[in-house]
Amino acid sequence: MKYLLMLILCLPALASAEDAAVREEVMSAKETVLELNRDLYELERELLSPATTRAAFHITLNHGEYFEPLSVELSVDGKLELQHLYTERQVKALRMGAVQPLGDLNLAPGKHDITVTVRGVDHQGQGRELTITEPVTKTGKPLITELLIVDRDELQSARLQLKYW
Amino acid sequence: MGYLARYVVLILLGMQIHAHADTQADNSQSLKPGDMVPDFTLPAVNGFGQRLQEARGSYLMVIWLGHCDECSERLVRYQLLAESLEIEGLKGWFVWTPGGDRSPPNMRLPVLKYEPRWRQGWVFKDRPAIMLINADGRLDHLITGDLEDNYQETEEVVMRWMSQGRDYQRPE
Repeated sequence: MKYLLMLILCLPALASAEDAAVREEVMSAKETVLELNRDLYELERELLSPATTRAAFHITLNHGEYFEPLSVELSVDGKLELQHLYTERQVKALRMGAVQPLGDLNLAPGKHDITVTVRGVDHQGQGRELTITEPVTKTGKPLITELLIVDRDELQSARLQLKYW
Repeated sequence: MGYLARYVVLILLGMQIHAHADTQADNSQSLKPGDMVPDFTLPAVNGFGQRLQEARGSYLMVIWLGHCDECSERLVRYQLLAESLEIEGLKGWFVWTPGGDRSPPNMRLPVLKYEPRWRQGWVFKDRPAIMLINADGRLDHLITGDLEDNYQETEEVVMRWMSQGRDYQRPE
């Protein structure tokens, strides 16, 4: 009778220990899945955009008093590679200092011609187009580029500038 | 072996991207009430571009125009309907497709322009059509056919839709 009572009293403790073990196993499995996910992400990134060919492009708007972008297109060696259409909210964010990642490209090491065209409106509501073409040499290191739309107060207009980080 | 694994992963990734693009194209053609409307961004002929995702939280009436060459007069009633319900949270967009020497309608509401070169956009094949998209981005009503013939029905549906909030039109 005593043994039976002891067994009944021990049962909840046994069950709770079992629960804890299961919880631990679940946690460990979750961690493994997260690690695997991270590894896969890194592998995908490395495969799609390895450091030797990686070229990242970002856009910023300096003040934006004389120009508001509506769209941007970026070509490399005459081939259209990246494009974006702007909404009012996105332009507001750029005005507030946001740095927009336009996209990543794979560029083989060597010389390339980069052409960027930004279409938009000036401070009088007239359609305007800013274009820049610049040769760039891609080395074995990642190429990180910022496309700046800068106001030119003296001319009451804007210009496009490429900056390499 | 390492290279082989990389190629396999690359091929799989490529297939995934291709499948995603296909799904998006198919979605735009086979949308029916109850479906989530795929996101798009389209440039406007009269201002900033519009992105569907940014309209979340509002009722949205998207009017896909068929053949339209300066068809402003045909659209005035739709514009007035959208503007009269703007205070209730309704937004109205026209989507115009250029062709030949057609000119876009001259409206106060955003007139979006579909051009295949913009990869962020898609076009609904069965035009003209009116999509009523709820605050969650789900298609509640789809009215296809001539815009002038369908105005009365659209007005009634919009009024009912706005008053009821969520009112999924189930296909029969």
